[in-house]
Amino acid sequence: MSKSIIRWPGLGAFFVVVGTLVLLSWLFLDTILKFTFEQTLGRLNGAEVNVAEVSHQWSPVRLTLTGVQITDPNQPELNRVQAERISGDVSLSELILGRVLMEQLDVTGVRLAQKRESPGEVYVSINKDQVKSWASDGWSSVKAKLPSTDEIVAQVGLQTEDVIATAKQKVKQQETEFKQARDQLPKKEKIEQYKQQIEQLTSGKVEGLGDIAERKKQLDELKQQIRQDKEAVAQFKEELEQSIETVKTQLSEVKAAPGNDIDRIRSFFQLNETGIQNVTGLLLGEEAKKWSHYVLLAYEQIAPMLARADDSQTIEKARGMGENISFAEQDAAPELLIKKARTEILIAGTKVDVNWENITYQHDLLGQSTTYQARADNASLWRSFNLNGELALLPSGIDAKQQWQLKGAQLSNIGLVNNSEIAASLISSVLDSDGSVRVKGNELDGSALVKLLDLKVDASGTSKITKAIANALGQLNRLDVNTDVGGSIVSPSLSLNSDLDDQLGQMLSQAALGEASEKLQSIKQDLMAKVNEQMGGEEAFLSQLGDWQGQSDSLDKQLEELLKSKIEDSLKDKLKGRLFGGS
Amino acid sequence: MLTLLARILKALNSETSARSLAIAVVLGMFLGLTPLWRVHNLIILLAALIFRVNLSLFLVSFAVFSGLAYLLDPMFHSFGESILRADSWQAIYEAVYATAIGRVSLFYHTITMGSFIFSLIVSPIVWGTTYYIVINYRKRIQATFNKLKIVRVLKGSRLWQVYSDLRG
Repeated sequence: MSKSIIRWPGLGAFFVVVGTLVLLSWLFLDTILKFTFEQTLGRLNGAEVNVAEVSHQWSPVRLTLTGVQITDPNQPELNRVQAERISGDVSLSELILGRVLMEQLDVTGVRLAQKRESPGEVYVSINKDQVKSWASDGWSSVKAKLPSTDEIVAQVGLQTEDVIATAKQKVKQQETEFKQARDQLPKKEKIEQYKQQIEQLTSGKVEGLGDIAERKKQLDELKQQIRQDKEAVAQFKEELEQSIETVKTQLSEVKAAPGNDIDRIRSFFQLNETGIQNVTGLLLGEEAKKWSHYVLLAYEQIAPMLARADDSQTIEKARGMGENISFAEQDAAPELLIKKARTEILIAGTKVDVNWENITYQHDLLGQSTTYQARADNASLWRSFNLNGELALLPSGIDAKQQWQLKGAQLSNIGLVNNSEIAASLISSVLDSDGSVRVKGNELDGSALVKLLDLKVDASGTSKITKAIANALGQLNRLDVNTDVGGSIVSPSLSLNSDLDDQLGQMLSQAALGEASEKLQSIKQDLMAKVNEQMGGEEAFLSQLGDWQGQSDSLDKQLEELLKSKIEDSLKDKLKGRLFGGS
Repeated sequence: MLTLLARILKALNSETSARSLAIAVVLGMFLGLTPLWRVHNLIILLAALIFRVNLSLFLVSFAVFSGLAYLLDPMFHSFGESILRADSWQAIYEAVYATAIGRVSLFYHTITMGSFIFSLIVSPIVWGTTYYIVINYRKRIQATFNKLKIVRVLKGSRLWQVYSDLRG
């Protein structure tokens, strides 16, 4: 008898096998889920994810994860996010259809950038170019020494001696021209001769009209000579004025030269070129970086994970894992949708609730952005805090915007920087901040104003320059810092600037100048002595020129007087005397 | 292991049809080449158990092809991806994807699709090859084989004892 093709006991065996599998799954469901979450979240995160425990309930289907640690792929020794508890209801009917739909997700005890017990494994290689080199690396640039006075003098190149040499040359040239003009002046004897000649022509016995005519002719000739001399005097006076002007100018320049040299040396003490511009960034960069993790939580932590959920190309696949290809239609429901979520973030011991709506990575299917808002007033750390924003993952990248206001945040005992060059800590301050950030095509662009009021900073430095910085910091009581946010969401960059740098620059300049003042005074005295020593001749020449001014005026006056002499009047007088019995 | 080998020898020497043995190898191949935790493998398992298929050969086939799958996974991935990305099939995939069965089947997984279609393609070849080997073994080798000195030695061994026990 041939056996039947059906082996009925096999059906029983099948149910036994399937039943055993179901039973094992049931018994070890939490372990299986834990493994699955660690694998899947690790894949999305790009680095190791640890889940301490997973528990479930069936009606309604609810999963609870405790002790979740998500390694920062850029810094495996840190958790980028860790949460004490994650709990949410999952729709079973949607789960069968391969979709994760959660009405409510609660995440509590969220902390950012916490140290791990041991470094986590990194699955996605980090693009080193994207890793931001934070400002704290730059303290070495402040090691730039203030130059010594001698170095500055050497660099400036004193110009007093050059000015003296130039002045001497110009004065000498002027002196030559002056002397030439002076030689053209009529001598005293010549003036006396003119006087005698005029006397002779206008006095004495008149012989008649012919004599008068002859005398007049001679007087005219004499006047012609006098006029020529007067012209020479005028030219001399002109030359004299120019000489006085030139000598005065040159002497003035020479006298100003030592002062100018000192001013130029002083200007070289300005610290514009000594690499002190970024003290704000150096001082506050590390702390700003920590706080930026909270402010940029949505972009730094959530968005990249959501983006990875949709972009398997960014994740290095384990061998033989394959790839799930989505065939969701344009109007299909998103494969992941968390309608509402509450994340309770712990910031320095204060709980801040962030409420999310519509978390998904398929915003184009959902037709809405993921929105989030956080509001916490009258907390122990601040007076008011308000943050809201929205983000959407589009084919072009992440599109998002966010704004925040923080008022009256109490800061105390925060270590700002501590290295071999400088140690500074913020003893106390009240912080106000508001700002906004926009993300387009994965690129961040935003700015924030951070006001540090009632500021008390304790600082100490080891080098001359850091001591000066520490001293200046100790004197600060308010600081307004402008923060610019840029770069990609994977590695945002912060740049901080304030008037602190200018203040420090001025203070350091003053300090440096104070130390150098004695030396500068000595240099100035030396230069002045040199000026006095070398310009004595020129001073005397100027005095001589002054004398010549009076002499030339007198000479000019004399010649003018001589020119006023008239032969007609003299003759008239003589003729009157003879006609009317006069002498 | 010895028991399993003995069972295979028994099957080869029994009157079990060569077709049935070849089907066992093919079903084991499906189970071995495709990812284990898939719904279609439940159907394969059900078929292997409910139909009079030689389970020993099925298990050996599963083990051998599982090892082979480890080497072939990258190829299955590429093959599956090219199938799933074929333009003319997109409408069908979208329709299946929208159903619960489609989602549970994980057909949209590259290795699942690649290995399953590969298994389908090679199954007639595997079936034919196995059938040919069994027939020829029984026709030519079995008698000659039994005359070999080493087989006689083996017949005095523990293996033969186990085999004999099975024969009852």
